[in-house]
Amino acid sequence: MDTIPHDAPIMAGSGLTARIRTLPRPDKALLNLLFGAALLALVLGLADGLLTALARAGALTFFPDDAYRLLTVHGVSVFFYWLYLIQAALLLALAAAENSRGLALRPAAWAGAALMLAGFAVSEWISYTGTPLLYDGSPELAVDDPRSVGFFALGYLLLSAGLTASAVSGIATLLQPRRRGEAEEFGAVGFALFAWAGFLIVSAIAATNAFLPGLLWSLGAGPFPADHGTEWHILFHNLHYLPLMATVLVWYVLTRHLTGVTSIHGARLSKIVFAAYLVFVPPTSLYHMFLEPNLSEGVRVVGSLLSLFVSVPTLAAFAIIVSSLEASARAHGATGVFGWIRGLPWGNPAMANMGWAVVNMMVGLTFAFVLIQGELAPMLSDTFFVPGYFHLFAVGVLTQTFLAALMVLLPALNGGHLWRPALLARMPALVTAGLLLFAAAGIAAGTMGVPRRVFDVGYGGMAPAAWPVLMALVGIGASLFAAALSVSVYGVVRTLLSGRKLSAMELPAVDWKAGQNRIGAAPAWTGPASIAALVAAMYVFTIAAFQLIQSLPVAVIGGGHGH
Amino acid sequence: MKNDEVRLMLAIVAVWAALAAVYALVPSLGMPGYVRVWGGGAVVFLLLAAVLTLSGRRGDGGEAPRS
Amino acid sequence: MPDPRHFTTRRGFIAGLGFGAVSLYGAWAAYGAAPLPFGHTPSATPEPEAHGHGGSNGDSHGGHAAAAAPTADDFRLEHETFLRTYAQTDGSVDPHAASHGGARSHGHAHGASQGAPHGGHADEGHDDDGSATEPVTVFLMAQKFAYSPDLLRLKAGQAYRFRMMADDITHGASIQLGAASRIIRLRPNIISEQTITFTKPGEYLVYCTVYCGQAHDAMQGRIIIV
Ligand code: HEM
Ligand SMILES: [Cu+2]
Repeated sequence: MDTIPHDAPIMAGSGLTARIRTLPRPDKALLNLLFGAALLALVLGLADGLLTALARAGALTFFPDDAYRLLTVHGVSVFFYWLYLIQAALLLALAAAENSRGLALRPAAWAGAALMLAGFAVSEWISYTGTPLLYDGSPELAVDDPRSVGFFALGYLLLSAGLTASAVSGIATLLQPRRRGEAEEFGAVGFALFAWAGFLIVSAIAATNAFLPGLLWSLGAGPFPADHGTEWHILFHNLHYLPLMATVLVWYVLTRHLTGVTSIHGARLSKIVFAAYLVFVPPTSLYHMFLEPNLSEGVRVVGSLLSLFVSVPTLAAFAIIVSSLEASARAHGATGVFGWIRGLPWGNPAMANMGWAVVNMMVGLTFAFVLIQGELAPMLSDTFFVPGYFHLFAVGVLTQTFLAALMVLLPALNGGHLWRPALLARMPALVTAGLLLFAAAGIAAGTMGVPRRVFDVGYGGMAPAAWPVLMALVGIGASLFAAALSVSVYGVVRTLLSGRKLSAMELPAVDWKAGQNRIGAAPAWTGPASIAALVAAMYVFTIAAFQLIQSLPVAVIGGGHGH
Repeated sequence: MKNDEVRLMLAIVAVWAALAAVYALVPSLGMPGYVRVWGGGAVVFLLLAAVLTLSGRRGDGGEAPRS
Repeated sequence: MPDPRHFTTRRGFIAGLGFGAVSLYGAWAAYGAAPLPFGHTPSATPEPEAHGHGGSNGDSHGGHAAAAAPTADDFRLEHETFLRTYAQTDGSVDPHAASHGGARSHGHAHGASQGAPHGGHADEGHDDDGSATEPVTVFLMAQKFAYSPDLLRLKAGQAYRFRMMADDITHGASIQLGAASRIIRLRPNIISEQTITFTKPGEYLVYCTVYCGQAHDAMQGRIIIV
């Protein structure tokens, strides 16, 4: 049998859960509040996401304004409040666990939570009742309704202020052991948390840069923010990296929790990789703007090249985790090329969510790299290709990873137990299946030109006949992953609410920790093989896209720049 | 080691500040927001580097907020 | 001393893997898309526009487009003239038709620009192989929630210089071409320019791909290629 010889499963419950369990009461209350609010945002967003998908599939019909309002609430709830509330909560929880004495600057943390919740309330209210602005809140959509623009901006500004306050508390918490002279330096996770907290503050600056002008304009205190598009792109780009960095960080934490494995390459390399996230953020930010008519050619050229580097930190972190796992498994006797993977504690829902998140990431990255090529942008940008592929990230990678973290942290926090782990462990595969259908149909639809953010794609009979068919498939995929994801979310919410009725039930985990001298003698091909497969897939789809764009019955020269 | 951490922070500062400078000095790129955000970010990480250096030195627990 | 580790578990190899996806450069290079990608480059970019809008301002294209390039109001005037000159009785616009004003286009953009602030395209396309390669200028304006013109009659094999602008807020003016579309994003008051040659006759949908409000989905036009 090409797997690990019956390693006695040990109880998870290592350092992490023990330290969460012993957090001071007020910290636990704060974390429960933030986790609960994040889950509420997710639930609201999921409901509206499903309605949006059904409307796009033609299964439901809304008045246009209502449909766009649903889309607005969906984007605002999940992309902003779910992702940022959960990130603030995870930052605080993990920082407090690192510190092992709870949060420092607790008032800042509470103020942060209050601000974020106020932002949440304002944003939800204006999204449900105002002019639908979608999640980017472009002021030009409501020139005659400054009130909507102003409140919309206010919501995000409150969120940013709250994130900053939370990040400051997180940073102070992380520094406490050093200030007390108990620690000389961070571990890999501590350093990652520190850098990530700094990045949260930068994103708050970006959000202020993008949304303060709108607020001022609505108050009659500033000019119309005509440049919102560009400022939004800067923020939006940060918002791609932030949750991804958080995801990788959670993978580190969960890998250790579920398998006992830490990087076999030393903390230093991990720190460099986490710093690399930040180094690569600004230089790779231009690819969102390829369709902008006022982007200069030079910037477009450089932007396309630099964006090739966008995945470096993520793939490096992936390689670190996978090689560490594989080498540790082999040190414990695992055999077969990929057999060691079966030895992972898949019966643990946290493991299942994390494992399938990695699969989603590989598929998502493939298509992300089709999209970053500046010459393909005139075929793919602004189409359903974009939501088609990014849900692999938004749902498959980020949401599943953060749910995995909750599945570990909530029982530790409240002493309850995880709701029906055997059932929850099955959901990620279903979510992934639904997402793959959604993405395949959505990417095909987008490639054919189906626009994003359009509910009726009939165009008076002029649209290709395939369009509605593909969108129906998108709806089926969405229903499948929405259903499965709802089960996961329900399980987590039940866990949050279950209190301490039962003592924590131990879930499967393994202990692959191995001595440094035993490790790494055998080859570990899973990482390189996955990355080779990823690159091959990127080649296939990039080449297919080039072939397609060249086969179109037009020849186009941009503004006299033929070359 | 500890110096690594400060050095990594400074590397981030350097890249961000350089980018902000490019956008500031070449206004025809037309993206002043980049200057504000990446420049502001460079300042944030510079502060973090400073905090890191200081809190390492002050091993006596001086100002650490108690919890 | 030899590293007891297999190379696949060594630090350098792992760090190198992080750069794996950079190798997609090869595919880009194979298609000539690196290091010089070309998208459509509209006239509002600060880049010098060799053939952009010649005429009287030709010497000031050295890099600062703002002063020299036609303004949005110039565009509106030219667009008006274009519509007036080539409007057909069925509501379509045909830049090859005899204009109501009596002027013929000669397959050039001249007719379209007559009377407009920056004159014709005098210094352009001296390759003398006739109207087939001489781009004909066509104007397209997007506004809530329609295109003007919303029906263009053009010829296959003829190059058209599409001069496009959004009048009020951001819109798309994407062209559905069968297997895929040509996605075009138009910002208000910024003039975009692309030279497009349709190679196959047919009826092509023009549609908005940037959310612009309630009737966003209803925003459509047609290009008929004969
Ligand atoms: C039940 C789960 C979900 C379903 C069925 C769903 C479905 C959809 C659909 C159909 C769209 C519309 C695309 C368009 O018309 O342009 C959309 C947009 C979007 N979704 Fe989701 N989604 C789900 C979960 C999520 C999650 C968890 C996230 C983020 C964490 C997310 C982020 C977004 C974003 C950012 C947009 C773009 C909104 C916009 O264009 O204004 N979705 N979603
Ligand atoms: Cu429109």
